Amino acid sequence: MLWKRQIPILIATVVGLLTLFGWFIDNPGIESFVNDDATQWFDILASFAIFLGALNLMKLQGRKVLKQHSGWQYSLFAIGGFIFAIVAGFIYKGNDAVAWGVHVTSKGTLFKWMFDFIFTPLSATMFALLAFFVASASYRAFRVRNLEATLLLVSGMIIMVGRVPLGSSISSWFIMYLLVLVGSVAANIKFQDKIITFGVLLGGVVIVTIWGSLAGWPVDQPSIFYLPMLQDWIYNNPNVAGARAIMIGIGLGIFATSIRYILGVEKSYIGE
Amino acid sequence: MMKYIIELILSIGKVDRRWIFLVIGLAVLLPLFFPLGLPIRATTATQRVYDAVEELEPNSKVLVSFEYGPSTKPEIHPMAIAILRHLFTNSQKVYVTCLWPDGQFMAEDALTEIAEEEYGLTYGEDYVLLGFRPGNEAVVKGLVSNIRKLYTTDARGTLVDQIPMMANVNKVKDFDFIFSASAGYPGTIEWVQYAADPTGVPMSTGTTSIQVNDVMPYVQSGQVKGILAGMPGAAEYEALIGSPGIGTSGMDAQSIAHLVIVLFIVFGNITYFIETRRAKKY
Amino acid sequence: MVIGAWISVFLTLAILSYLYKDNPFYKVAEHVFVGISTGYWTSMFFWTQIQPNLFGRLWPATEYDASSLWYKFYNLFGVFSSVFPEGGIAKGHDMHLIYLVPFALGIMMLLSVSSKLSWMARWGIAYTVGMAAGLRAYGFLNSNVLGQIKGSAFQIFNSDLPYFALVGESITNNFVILIGTITGLMYFYFSREHTGNFGRLTKVGIYFLMISFGASFGFAVMGRISLLIGRFVDLMHYSSSAYNNATLWILLIMVLLLGYSAFMDKGRPVESPVNDRTD
Repeated sequence: MLWKRQIPILIATVVGLLTLFGWFIDNPGIESFVNDDATQWFDILASFAIFLGALNLMKLQGRKVLKQHSGWQYSLFAIGGFIFAIVAGFIYKGNDAVAWGVHVTSKGTLFKWMFDFIFTPLSATMFALLAFFVASASYRAFRVRNLEATLLLVSGMIIMVGRVPLGSSISSWFIMYLLVLVGSVAANIKFQDKIITFGVLLGGVVIVTIWGSLAGWPVDQPSIFYLPMLQDWIYNNPNVAGARAIMIGIGLGIFATSIRYILGVEKSYIGE
Repeated sequence: MMKYIIELILSIGKVDRRWIFLVIGLAVLLPLFFPLGLPIRATTATQRVYDAVEELEPNSKVLVSFEYGPSTKPEIHPMAIAILRHLFTNSQKVYVTCLWPDGQFMAEDALTEIAEEEYGLTYGEDYVLLGFRPGNEAVVKGLVSNIRKLYTTDARGTLVDQIPMMANVNKVKDFDFIFSASAGYPGTIEWVQYAADPTGVPMSTGTTSIQVNDVMPYVQSGQVKGILAGMPGAAEYEALIGSPGIGTSGMDAQSIAHLVIVLFIVFGNITYFIETRRAKKY
Repeated sequence: MVIGAWISVFLTLAILSYLYKDNPFYKVAEHVFVGISTGYWTSMFFWTQIQPNLFGRLWPATEYDASSLWYKFYNLFGVFSSVFPEGGIAKGHDMHLIYLVPFALGIMMLLSVSSKLSWMARWGIAYTVGMAAGLRAYGFLNSNVLGQIKGSAFQIFNSDLPYFALVGESITNNFVILIGTITGLMYFYFSREHTGNFGRLTKVGIYFLMISFGASFGFAVMGRISLLIGRFVDLMHYSSSAYNNATLWILLIMVLLLGYSAFMDKGRPVESPVNDRTD
């Protein structure tokens, strides 16, 4: 139990305290450890974690093939893909002018070919699939159930349309007419009176039309209804406020959690 | 009549999602075949980046860092290319580093296309590709203290001491401007925290749309001078420098797709309202 | 080049075919992706981290001494001349034998693949967790908390700024950001019930947060659509005659095969993708 529990917690505590106080201690040995070696060790261990993940994956896929679980034929493709990538990375260079090591970032090698024609299309398309799911969710799931959801969707829609060229082509007067329409629908829902609804609609249309004719129908005035300007204001002000609050909150949370790990209060990384 | 319309709206509201996929697919595909040529207007954030680059004296030393990969290439590559075009037009000296390994591939593609083929510049005198170094923020910190410790050779294997434009360039403070084309970690935030803020070198950035909100507070406080937000940001920058490229050609598709999604949200909510009013009635 | 184009188009269309329904093309592409990306990152991390930074510090070329025991050990591995080249590893480092510590922790991590020794990974994980906690605690407190608070502070009575401006700085805009940040932070304070005046302020806070989330949603949509545009542009590029019209042929074959299987499946319920993932 000593090896499995106490020592890992001790390692986390000692290393954590060393790196935390390393920011404040003036000893050159500790400073050089914290600044250079500590991050390097972190990267090296992260690499070993990747290797561990690869070994686990091959163990799982291999077991599936050997025991012929359902879909084992597809596991052959996974194993084959892995072997191909390892061959390209360690066995067959494809371009003798390039040394081992830099061949992973050089042109003309089998590794680069694999990167361009297999890895890139796969990873890019996986991400691109999400565009379709976002569209489907917009249609079927995003509902204006309360004021908060309304704010979210309205600000989202203004940003989406205001940020693209289409938004600058939509006149602010069109938006004002749209608001008059929305206002009359809201009046209808609230007062349930045809006369009030019609009054709001007619009044709104008349006011906007007279105002517009007097102003000469400029596309981007009044600027508060011009989508790109409105989008700019939302983007630079309330949006930054919210993002900043979240950033500060996360910063404080990370600080608190880091202290918990260093003090050994939080033991989830060893599975407890 | 009203009832018929309402029934129709409700039935469309319950349609199989694969029709939605088809509609959005066509909304993106058709404008690529039949461009609309909508005019592109730059936002203030993009304008600030343009102004920051324009203000540089000719022959300034600019550090451009590529930290994106193929999955985010459609968004960031156009802006990297536009920035390179702007810098080379204004005769700036460009030094390219990469915090992501795949960033080096992107940098090579961009430099071959722009510096070599379009502008016919000399490697080592007008631009240099220092390349990728592992270590994330440790690389940024290393660049701030001593470039030659990190980079003994450039990406092509030439010793850094033998490259003419590397003379008198030893740390980040020797640069006049930093631009980070970033898609995540490590990226803009690391450059701000470890390089631009401590040394005071002005910096700008271009990021993926998803990352924009994370970086906005730095832009608002002036630590980062403007931001190119995703493909629309790239298209706006291309419009500002007057050379439309891949960013611009995708804009029509982007506009139509966004409009379609907004209409989906509106239509979905109309169906929702009709359903809730019906449920209240009964 | 052309073979690569055909493979690229096939894999792209195979993944897109998931939108119709889960099918063998998609499953094949998905499994290939899993295998290739694991192998890709393994190779990448090995050649960019382990070989230069770990082995390069244990057996650097600068201190190569063929007679020493340590380098005799190295020369045994010389059979893998790509990883362990003749004369030590020249990556500009000096010898730091202390790097045997992360090497040992790393080997322990790898040994944990066997279920009996799975506890060995805990040591390496504990080191990673401790180190990250120590580094990030200071870094995040400094830049994300103090830096952001500093950025929110502004001169209230700055006569240079206009009172109200839709674009650019203004006194009202600065107030909006300040009030939004403070009320947003108040919302995250759960040690006190959100009632009364405090409750009203936190409600204002959540409105600001919702506007921010809405903007993030807008940007997320923008990003995903841009990626889709990128894929379509690539597919269109590969449909040209220089690549023997790869896109058109593969699309035709896939549509025919999927259509045929849908026809044969008529009568059996069709499984369409279930999750509405929006991340």
